[in-house]
Order: sequence, then structure tokens, then C-alpha cells
Amino acid sequence: MAEQKHQPKAGPDSEPDILQQEKKAVEEIIAIRSITAENTVFRRTQGGFVRMEFTTPEGEVKSYPRVSVHRCFPFSDPTHFISIREPEADGREIGLIEDLDALPRDMRAMLEEQMNLRYFTPKIEKVHSVKEEYGYAYWDVTTDRGACRFTVRTGGGGNVYAIGPNRYLINDIDGNRFEIPDLYKLSAKEIKQLDLFI
Amino acid sequence: MNLCFTLPDQEAGLIKPLRHGKPLRYCVPYDLNDDGGLCGDGWIAVTEGTLFVLKGGALKHQVCLAEVDEVLCTPQVNSGVLAVRRQGEDQYLCRFSMRHMVRISYAARGACLFCRGDRRLVESREREKLCPRCGRVLPGTSLCPHCAGKGGRTFRRFWDLCRGYTLPLLTLTVIMAAMSGISVFQQYVQRRFIDDVLVPAEGTLADVGAFFGVTLVLVLASLALWITNALWSNSLGTRISRDLRARTFYRINELSMSFINSRQSGELMNRVVEDAARVREFMEQAFSQMFSQIFIMAGALIAMFIMNWRLALLGLAFAPVGLALIRLSRRYERRLWRKRWRTEDKVNDRLQDVISGIRVVKSFGQEQRESARFHEYTDELMRITRRNEIFWATLYAGVTFFLTSGTLLVIYFGGGDVLKNQMTPGELVQFLAYTNMLYGPLQFVSRLPRMLMRLTTALERIYDILDEDAQFVDPKDAVDRELEGQVTFDNVTFGYRTYEPVLENISLTVKPGEMIGLVGASGAGKSTIINLLMRLYEVDDGEIRVDGIPLPKLSQDCLHRQIGVVLQETFLFSGTVFDNIRFARPDAPVREVIQAAKMANAHEFITKLPDGYDTYVGERGYTLSGGERQRVAIARAILHNPRLLILDEATSALDTETEYQIQEALGRLTHGRTTFAIAHRLSTLREADRIVVIDKHRIAEVGTHNELMRRKGIYYGLVMAQLEMHKVRGA
Repeated sequence: MAEQKHQPKAGPDSEPDILQQEKKAVEEIIAIRSITAENTVFRRTQGGFVRMEFTTPEGEVKSYPRVSVHRCFPFSDPTHFISIREPEADGREIGLIEDLDALPRDMRAMLEEQMNLRYFTPKIEKVHSVKEEYGYAYWDVTTDRGACRFTVRTGGGGNVYAIGPNRYLINDIDGNRFEIPDLYKLSAKEIKQLDLFI
Repeated sequence: MNLCFTLPDQEAGLIKPLRHGKPLRYCVPYDLNDDGGLCGDGWIAVTEGTLFVLKGGALKHQVCLAEVDEVLCTPQVNSGVLAVRRQGEDQYLCRFSMRHMVRISYAARGACLFCRGDRRLVESREREKLCPRCGRVLPGTSLCPHCAGKGGRTFRRFWDLCRGYTLPLLTLTVIMAAMSGISVFQQYVQRRFIDDVLVPAEGTLADVGAFFGVTLVLVLASLALWITNALWSNSLGTRISRDLRARTFYRINELSMSFINSRQSGELMNRVVEDAARVREFMEQAFSQMFSQIFIMAGALIAMFIMNWRLALLGLAFAPVGLALIRLSRRYERRLWRKRWRTEDKVNDRLQDVISGIRVVKSFGQEQRESARFHEYTDELMRITRRNEIFWATLYAGVTFFLTSGTLLVIYFGGGDVLKNQMTPGELVQFLAYTNMLYGPLQFVSRLPRMLMRLTTALERIYDILDEDAQFVDPKDAVDRELEGQVTFDNVTFGYRTYEPVLENISLTVKPGEMIGLVGASGAGKSTIINLLMRLYEVDDGEIRVDGIPLPKLSQDCLHRQIGVVLQETFLFSGTVFDNIRFARPDAPVREVIQAAKMANAHEFITKLPDGYDTYVGERGYTLSGGERQRVAIARAILHNPRLLILDEATSALDTETEYQIQEALGRLTHGRTTFAIAHRLSTLREADRIVVIDKHRIAEVGTHNELMRRKGIYYGLVMAQLEMHKVRGA
């Protein structure tokens, strides 16, 4: 939700203008705009989100009352290529942060808070039991977010799948997702429990 | 779905003084801490004036709904966030996992209504996912298989299936009893042969002949019975399963429109097909093998216990061990099977992938890598198969040993009895024969519980559909009359997934005979508007009226009879062109069909085909071009003569020449009918009386082409962009 939006200049022969704008819009979409501590100020809002003021390379200052923080590589590289976006469902990217660690500490903390709010994929640390009944498996596990019981459909396949050599994702019937970062960090007994799926 | 849970006492007591006597309208749990940790003690409670967020028995937020613009339930990655917007600024309230997403989104929508002073309540038509009694997942059924499977329910279902066939069933029972009796009697004859003829060594050849005669008769009789049984039971099994399939198919056809409303139609449909196959399998097996096996086993057992109960017990002594072994290994066995299936799937998937992507693989020169990868999978499959085979070979050897080792005891102790003259040799042989007759059926019986369980679940799911009717049938006072074609969308809100609205507050009145062009980016909700009008889905909020009659009050048959659809991809059924045009009105006279084809500019090309109207089209027939198909579809729609017409990208797949012909035909088709047309190519909407631009789930602009061009809004931008594209193409 950019507060300044360019309005099309209304006029009898504004056709070329519109085409110019389209071209400009395309250029804007294609360009990678870097967000750094120099050109951007983030502030926490009272409501618990983050607002942003961004100075474009042309020197224009744009401010956004709330931004979304997305990871480009949520699994493989969570601290690089962070996309700062307008918060609406169809909002556009405002800019990219290439390396989170290069930012000042408080700025980084602020963004990490927002990302933590966005992502929820608990990592399974311990498998207590997996029981199957009537085509559904009932899992009882401990995750990095606490103890959890969830249910996975066994038929049809695709609910437990590998996304790396030993890394697995699990979809439960509610639409939650769980991650096993490294299968072989689990004990042999636990792996045996997962035999149904892996 | 329950949207108003009962708060635990502590929480309830906490907000009691704060809600000023107003009742809780929504009360739903949430399950995440602010830092994303799982918790089980969060509650969101909403009265008409206030929204409370409670956590761990303490009040976390209290929001006066009159002061907020909106209550937002925003989907995040596998979770959601609840926030409120006050004067354009968002305030975070709480977060939750997907488990509570649907409920909370409903509650948020309900709270949003209260914000605007609207006192209506939001209801959820979605089904609960878990059995409220035992907490197990409901596998697409309304009753939990665990809780409902008890108490002979399945047996009743089963009986319900067989009810129409009492006489054949009785006959079958008699045949099977006779078969069992004969096989028991046969052994008795054998004993008499040994004891009376062979052992005393005083029998004559005539005696041998007599026994030969009796045995021959028995063998022939049992052969005849066996064949009759096979024929009858097979036909009974298949007939019962055919009935079941016919009933489910009929029901699905009848339900299909409202069935899709349940939002899981695809899954359910698949299941019905699968489940019906499962029931059929059971029926055929049950009647052709299982029952006769059980009869034979019962006959042998009775004979054994009558002859010598102690020896009978000895013969059965090891059977329980064998059965236990089967039961114990079942879990492991299932695991092995599943593993093998999965690996097979993987191999097949891989193969499918590579073969269908062969051009990509080759053009990037990746053949080596792909075949190496494929090799890996097949290796794995080989390893697993080998391991499984070894397991089964060992297991079944063990099971057979235990099941049959009873025979050894019988030989030992029975032999002793014979020597002590407590038993004749003939009796021993007879007894041994009975013991051997037990083992085949025993293995069968050990599989019975599993088969029954599979049957139970399959039957439950099928009956869920068969029992579904009442809910979806037209109301008794459903209107069924000729329609004028006035269509009103009154504040319609809808989302395929309830927490993600696709259309919000759509209001639009269309006069009879008016043509409306629907324009907007893909995914904006154009097709959804049409789906709602066809009543493929039920609106979440608001109302659609045709001629002032709300859609649910209109009989579905009446609605679908008077709606015609021409889609981007025309589906032609296997059959002749003639049949295809006449699809909607199978009784239409030939003249009218030809008239319709002429009006659709289809007659010309059809008569040029070698087989004319008799040209066989569809799956394996003559292939018509896209334009030709489209004209057949238009002819179909003209013959159907609907009051409401829907054109969904009807011209997008055509080249320019045919487009002209089709435009012309469409012009004739739309004339005087209320038409909704979706088109990306805006030039095809020239004829539209009004154009409706959908943007961001709402109606952004409405007006004639000229009005919208003058307004220089979204529509203007789209037109200019397309003009530019044409210029580029022309250059």
C-alpha cells in the first residue's frame, strides 16, 4: 500500500503516456532494488508490525505503513535474499535484502520478528509414535515449537516427501507442514516408526 | 462446523464482567504463542460489541469492535495471523496454525459484520474433520468408522445390500451345505471301504465295484454342486455389486451439482469408485469362496468332534499358533507391501516424467543423468522386492508348519489308538482327511477380520453418499417455470476456501436479454461469478436471484434447463455430430437440429464432411478443428434455447477467419438472451451492452464500452495495452 501512487494523467491525448507508464511499470517489475541500511528505515508499529521508509535511487521517498517480509529460500538459505513486500495478497515487491547479516542488529531483529510471524514449519526433533488406523496416521512428536500431535492421510501419497537428501516435509490434514531436517539425526527406533512413509 | 465453543471456566469467569451481559457469538480456540511455539490455551471470543483474545487464563487483548475498521484473518505460510485495522493501521492480536484457520476466518468475518453494525451471524457449512467422540479423523464420512462400526451396523448394511436376493441366497446356502455334507460323507465312505473291504481281507471284487460306484456318484454329485455353486455365487456377487454401483452412480449424477458444494467432490468421487470396487471384490470373493470354505470347515469340525473329540482337540492344538503368527505379522506385512507400492510408484513416476519430458531431457543433453537416476530407483525396487519375497517365503512356511503340525499329533496318537484297537484304520484315515480339510479354510478365516474391516469402511463411505440425499434435494416449494432472464447479484461474497474470499460484495442487476462482458485479470473471479450463477457452488454470503427468485428456491432442473454454456474447450461426447448437437434436447426434430446448425454456421462444414451429420466424433472418432467444435457447441446451445447464456472464453482459441464466423453465430445466439461473456480478447466484447470489470475480488467498473473508455480507468488501460500488442504484432 504505497501512499504515493502515480495517477494516470487524464487528458484527451494521453495514449502515449499510458504506454510510457506501462513500460515504466515493466521496468520497475524487472529491476532488482536493493534494500540497505542506507536507503531504508524500518520502524516497529504500535500494532506489532513494521513500517518502512524507502528512498529510491531517484531520491524519491516512499513510505509504507506496513510491509511483509518474505524469504526467497525459506529452506535452503533463510538469511539471504529477503523480499520486502506490500502486505496485500497481490502486493508487489518493494525491494530485496541480499544479506540479512549485513544489516545493523536492531534492523535485523525487527525483520526476523516479522519473518517468525510469517513462517510456521515446526521441525520434528523427536518421534514418539506413529499409529495408523483407517487410512490415517496419528503422529505424536516433539518439535522445536513444542509437543505436537497431528494426523496425516496415508493413502494417495505425497503427504510426506523428500526435499533434499535426508530432509523431509510432512503435510497434515489441516494444512500444517512439518519438517524433518535430517532423517538420520533421529534414532533407529524413530526411523522405524516412519517406515510407513519413508 | 462449530464456531461457538464453550470457554473453560477460568476464561469464562474472566470476561463475564467485561461482556456486559452480551452473549458470546463466536468462541474459537487458537494454538500459537507470539513467538510461534505451540500452546493449547488460547481463545478468541466475540460478542456483538467486543472481541476478546485470551491466553493461558489471562486477557491479552480487548477490542471494541465499533472502533475498528476491519478484523483481518491473514493467511501466512502454514499459519495465520489475526489482526484488526484501526484508522488504516494494523494491530496484531494473535497467531494460529492451520488447524484453526477455517474457524478463525469465519469468526473474523463474523466480527467484521459486527464492526459495521451488521448483526447477522456467520454460519459454517463445512464439516468437522474429527470425530467429536473419539477424536479420530473422519475419512470423508459423516460417521466415524470406529464409533459407528460397532453394534452390527455394518452387518445391517451388508444385509441391506443382499435383501433383494433372498431366494438365490437361500438356494446357495442349501447348495453349500450339501457340498459340505458330501465331502464329509465321502470320507465316511472311504472309511467303510478300508474297514469293511480292505482290512478284513474278505471283500470281493464286487464290493470294490460297489464302492467304486458310490464314490463315482459322490464325485459327480459334488462336481455338479461345485459348478452350480460357482455359477450362482458369482452371478449373485456381481449382481449385488452392480446394483450398488448403479445406485451410487445414479446418486452421484443426481447430486453432482450440490456435491461439488461440499468442496471435496473430487476426492469423494474417487473414493466412491474405489470403494465400489472394493465392495465388489468382497462380494465376489465372499460368495464364491469364503462361504463355501466356511461350510466345509464347519462340516469337517462337526464330524471330527462327533468321532473323537480328544483327537479333534489334538488336531487343532497348533492351529492357534499359526493363526497368531499370521495376525502378528500382519502389521509388518502391510508395511512391506506399502513400501513396495511406494517404490513402484516412484519408478513409474520417474518413467512417466522422463518419457513425457523426453524432448527437454534430450535438448539439454541429460540422458545419462536421467538413466543413472532411473537405475537407482529400479535397484531399490529390486532390493525391496527380494527382501519381501524372502520374508513371505519364511513366514508362510512357518504358518503352514504350525497349522498342519496338528496332523502329526493325530498320526501319532491316532496310530496308537489303532494299535490298541480303540480305533479302526479306516476311522484314522477318515479323521486325517478331516484334519487336512480344515487347513485351507483356516488360512482363509484368518484373513476374514481384515477383509471385513475394509468392507466396513468402504460400505460406510458409500452409504454416506447414498444417505446424503435429503440435504441437497430442492425444497418442496421449489419454483419451476419459464424464466425471463433477469439476474441479480445481491452483495455476494464467496471463496473456494472460506478464508480466502474470491468475490466480495458483488452487486449487479442484469436486465433480461442484456449482454454483460466480464473483464479482469486471470484469477480475479470472473469464472467464479459464472460458477455461482450455474449454482455449482453455494454463495457464502449474500444472494443471487433469477427473476427475483433466490437460486436455492429455484429447482435445479429448471435452472440448468434454461442455462446454456459455451466454453473455451468444447467437450464432444463419443457419438455422431448429430447426437452431439441434440445432446440437450434428445427429442428435437431433425429440421430443428439442421436449423440450429445453420444458425451456428456449422451446417456448411458438416455437410462437407464425408459422413455428414453421421460423422463419428469424440475420443476415437473424427477430429474436428477447434473452430468446428466451437460451432457444434454453439449449435447445441441454440437448439437448447436457454434464457441465460454463458460464454467462457468462447472465442479465445480460434484463428481470425473462423473467429469472424463464430462471432456472427454467437451474435445470433446471444440475441435476446441474458448473456454473460468472459473474454480476454476485448474485441469480442464489442456487442456487450455493459462491461463489468472485476478487480481485487470486487466490481471495479461497470458501464458501456464508451463510458469506460471515457473514464480512463482499468478497462481503458487494458484496451490500450491490447491495442499496443496488436501494433507490435502488425509491425
